[in-house]
Amino acid sequence: MSDKTITPREITFRVRRFDPDVDSAPHWSEYRQHVHDGMTVLEALHQLKAEQEPTLSWRSSCRMGVCGSCGMFVNELPMLACQTQVLHLGTDVVTIAPLPNYDNVKDLVPDLAPLIEKHASVKPYIIYLDQIEIDEPTGEFIQTPDQREEFSQFTHCIKCGLCLAACPTVATDPLFLGPQALAQAYRYTADNRDCGMKDRIEAIDIFHGPYQCHLAGACSQACPKGVDPAFGIQLLKRALVLDNIGFGKKKSSVAKVMPLADVVKAIDEFAPPPRTVVK
Amino acid sequence: MRETRLWSWHLLVIPIIIVLLGAHFAVMHYAPVFYGVSVEKAREFETMIERGKSITQFVLYILLLAAALYHGLYGLRGIIRELPMSPALGKIVDMSIIGLGLFIFAFGTYVTWWTFSFKIGG
Amino acid sequence: MNSNKPAYNNRLGLKGWVYAGKYTFERYLYLGHRLTGMGLIAYMLLHIIETANRMRGVEAWEELMGLFASWPFKIIEYLLFAAAVFHALNGVRLLMTELGFFLGKPKEPVYPYSSSIKRHRPLTYIIMALAGLIIILGGSSLFFP
Repeated sequence: MSDKTITPREITFRVRRFDPDVDSAPHWSEYRQHVHDGMTVLEALHQLKAEQEPTLSWRSSCRMGVCGSCGMFVNELPMLACQTQVLHLGTDVVTIAPLPNYDNVKDLVPDLAPLIEKHASVKPYIIYLDQIEIDEPTGEFIQTPDQREEFSQFTHCIKCGLCLAACPTVATDPLFLGPQALAQAYRYTADNRDCGMKDRIEAIDIFHGPYQCHLAGACSQACPKGVDPAFGIQLLKRALVLDNIGFGKKKSSVAKVMPLADVVKAIDEFAPPPRTVVK
Repeated sequence: MRETRLWSWHLLVIPIIIVLLGAHFAVMHYAPVFYGVSVEKAREFETMIERGKSITQFVLYILLLAAALYHGLYGLRGIIRELPMSPALGKIVDMSIIGLGLFIFAFGTYVTWWTFSFKIGG
Repeated sequence: MNSNKPAYNNRLGLKGWVYAGKYTFERYLYLGHRLTGMGLIAYMLLHIIETANRMRGVEAWEELMGLFASWPFKIIEYLLFAAAVFHALNGVRLLMTELGFFLGKPKEPVYPYSSSIKRHRPLTYIIMALAGLIIILGGSSLFFP
């Protein structure tokens, strides 16, 4: 990072504005504002709203890259406003627009409903064959660290929707399930506790499913949590092909239930060390 | 049909296309490099008919035709259907692509058969 | 939001296939693969119709081949060759990666994040260099046999 990029200075913010009650199409407004080192795009927007433009709208919540609310198109890339520092962008003009490929509700607010609907459509939960075990558990599922590693990367998704904003297929195909939902379909399919491939196939093995991903890689570049959805989709394709030719996950490879008595024994074996500070 | 099956065929035909199209390029466009014959000679009517009368060439050409048509038209269908359209229109696109593929395959096979059964001097 | 007015359709459309932001070059390989693919299937359909000209006899065939021997057609032929080489080699990359090979293994994401795209980039560079080499060599033997 050169000195210039972190020198506090005046920055021009070009913000795309749209008010459905007034505007028929979006327009750009410019604001100049002093930015200090470490200031995030989200903080800059708060300052803009407080000092210059009280009607400016966006969506945000946790301001720490966890809730996935503040996705925006900053300097022509989808980013989380809360974890993007203005001076690190390295430009004197910062453009901020709502995420592409979503309906624009107002100013910087995208309508993320399709993202959530697509996510829900791939059955993003563990489907276990033995319903009695689910209703009245007799123990805990066994899962080794290696088995968890198979999918744990994909559990980090915060559903911010940046990946869909980057995806070229989503740009034209509103029915394409998109990187987020497909990576989540893989996350559950790869889980050794899951037996849901058969149930999920109906939702994912369709034209608008994984095969409309052509590995442009933009979703993985955009992902702010290192989930790498493009990777999940390619692994999902492989899993589907193997399943189609009869080499899918076998029933015998599905997680076994460890009886509660053994669980208690295991807990004793891996008990935490005794307290060093007495209350 | 499950999309996985269609897509798997799209991949399975790739090796066939690479080998046979490579051979087709070598024979037709790089004859001087591979056979020491000029491109003009390789493309003469008589040479073309002579090649076409070989049963191996006949079979391989039909195979290449089928593989390349499937691969290309599956790809084209994907591109067209990525455009916004209703499911009904999507079905029409699918049917049109299948129809076009079958027509071109039948026509190409007929031309290849015509060459194979051509009687020189007849 | 109390507005009854409809939201603005912010979908990029066809522009999103071509340029959508400052993404890495893999997004342009996707575009190149798509364009060359469309070019090749269009050519293939034309090629089948055009070579059927043989059924009209020797003269019609020789006339057509004479036309193809001219310089403009040689250049078109070269462009076609280049498109086929790019599409084939990039296709081999996609064939392997879309089945999950050369992408590494899933692992807990630790900042700065790695990605499957970055991990298979050396393969991408090798494949593209090979494509460039074949296109150059192919051109030299086509134009200067």
